[in-house]
Amino acid sequence: MRALGSILKDYLVLVMILGLALITAVIQPKFISPANLVNIMRQFGPLILVSLGMTFVIIGGFIDLSVAGTINLVAVVTISLIDPLGQAGALATGLFLGSVCGAMNAVLILTGGATTQAEALFITFGMSTVYSSFALIYSGGSTRHFWDLTTSHSVFDSIGAGDVGPLSVSFIIFLVALAILWIFHTRTAAGRAISLTGGNKTAARLAGVPVDRSIVLIYTIGGFMAALGAIVLFSRITTAAPVIGFGFETNAILAVVVGGTTLKGGKGSVLRTVMGVLLVIMLNNCLNLLGVSSYMQWAARGLILVFAIWLDNRKEVQGNQL
Amino acid sequence: MNNLYRLFVRQKALVAIVIILVVMAMAPGLFSVGDQFYSAYNLLDMLNSSSILMILGFGVSLTIISGGCDLSIGGILVVAGILSIQLQDFMPMPLALLLAVLFGTLVGFVNGFLVVHQKTEPFIITLGVGLMLTGVAQQLSDAHPVPAKNPDFMQIGNGYLFGDGTFADGHFPGIPNLVIIMLVCFVLFAWLMRYTAFGRNLYAIGGDYDVARYSGIDVIKNKWMTLVISGTMAALGGVLLSSKLNTGSAVYGDFTALVVNCGAVVGGTSFAGGVGGIPQSALGLLVFGLLDNAMNMLTIPSWYQVMLKGAVIVAILWLDSYTQKRKRELV
Repeated sequence: MRALGSILKDYLVLVMILGLALITAVIQPKFISPANLVNIMRQFGPLILVSLGMTFVIIGGFIDLSVAGTINLVAVVTISLIDPLGQAGALATGLFLGSVCGAMNAVLILTGGATTQAEALFITFGMSTVYSSFALIYSGGSTRHFWDLTTSHSVFDSIGAGDVGPLSVSFIIFLVALAILWIFHTRTAAGRAISLTGGNKTAARLAGVPVDRSIVLIYTIGGFMAALGAIVLFSRITTAAPVIGFGFETNAILAVVVGGTTLKGGKGSVLRTVMGVLLVIMLNNCLNLLGVSSYMQWAARGLILVFAIWLDNRKEVQGNQL
Repeated sequence: MNNLYRLFVRQKALVAIVIILVVMAMAPGLFSVGDQFYSAYNLLDMLNSSSILMILGFGVSLTIISGGCDLSIGGILVVAGILSIQLQDFMPMPLALLLAVLFGTLVGFVNGFLVVHQKTEPFIITLGVGLMLTGVAQQLSDAHPVPAKNPDFMQIGNGYLFGDGTFADGHFPGIPNLVIIMLVCFVLFAWLMRYTAFGRNLYAIGGDYDVARYSGIDVIKNKWMTLVISGTMAALGGVLLSSKLNTGSAVYGDFTALVVNCGAVVGGTSFAGGVGGIPQSALGLLVFGLLDNAMNMLTIPSWYQVMLKGAVIVAILWLDSYTQKRKRELV
């Protein structure tokens, strides 16, 4: 009985969302129709990529609110470069740009000597507005469509809607990214250094762990994955607007926290984030099917974010008392 | 050189204000814009529009001085602003305004419970609460501006005291109501922080939480109170903003919270806690008011304005943490 209680406590958010799914399935049988399940899988793409990057930032004990700005900027820059540079050039430049945005955050945080999540939160929040306004200035505020392009955009078409056998291309991108990041995190010294950095920076530094390198690494990975997410996102909707990234930062943090990676840093895994993203997307889907307005969905996400962090924190407090 | 550095770090706000004023003094010659910046009308208008930011900033300063922060004020501001107009359909105006302000008190109370009593990270929790309230505000207003119907309501935010608000040579235009309200809050908060046990306790808590606790200060009650006050002030700001614009809208959310929290830091309050004060915060927020006004005068396109403001915010926060770093290294 106590074991059941502790499982319930550990996975309360999971249980709640599954409960919501159950209620939705009863009220709206459409929820478990194949078409809807495919729909859920398609929405999986961009958010999971961004969240995988965010996982590293949070495991490293920091936070990154700039992904929204990075997505905006990468989307408008990449689509505008397809004509002049060709598809490979545009893709490479987009991913490089995302990594640079991420690395820039790290440089600001390192040179400023920001050691807490709070300082990182404010700095990346500010950078998000800077990147977003770059996106607006670069694009002149206008939205670009694939049909405006004069050269071929076949690669982006297949990223957005292509299939390889039973799997969509974006799902394969996700699997590859997950495998690489999981191996990186669990099997390499640099990956372990990130966990150690997040656990206790001072102890890690004294033990000879390259803390500064870890910080640069987590933000660069975060920026790169945000760029990858941006490319998958605008390829799927065949349109790049300078505002498409808004909301991704909170959704990604929500997914990471709901998945069970603690905001205190040091503990967590990319595999947990996969579960977290599934839950967040399922939640959105349920709320849609139940006819909840998009505004109230915002409110619900905020509420669940607050609740999940509170729960995460309680576990920590109780763990310390034992 | 070292003195110059210290001046720049300690008096960021004053340095920034001087830079803006000098640039604007030279602007008519350099950028071929008019010299309206130094007109009485413009300076009063600038003070007027900074007033609401300052009112928000006084409340937030308490949370920052005690070592926390409040990012939910953007959400509280918009919900209270919309409520103050919508509730007028059901009840007399004063009651509606009071309820809208009390809503902020309630949110502050919940924030306090989560952040102080349950000891969660204030930054991310209040960000989440702000996010939630922005959603609520959009739902309440259906994402459209909500117009106010009562002319008396509009008068609160647009009226003048001791004058009729007209500008003519040799004619005193009076003082805008918002500036009066801001000044009253300023005196109240400055007194609170400087001369009351509550205010002094907040400095002690921000300086070192554990030492304050062992010295017998009821840390939880005091810190909880800061979030309640900050929520109340945010709601008051929201009501005044709705009155000034004569509409309630859900679009002033996140950026306001960031600007106000950073404004307090520009003035010399630090996220490390324990330092700063109400006059410093007022100066810091004046920097943002001046910056907005100057950029409009120079007819800088709005996207560039957002970028500049974002860059200024990043620079300030960078400087804040850099100062902390130097302090750590000196020890």
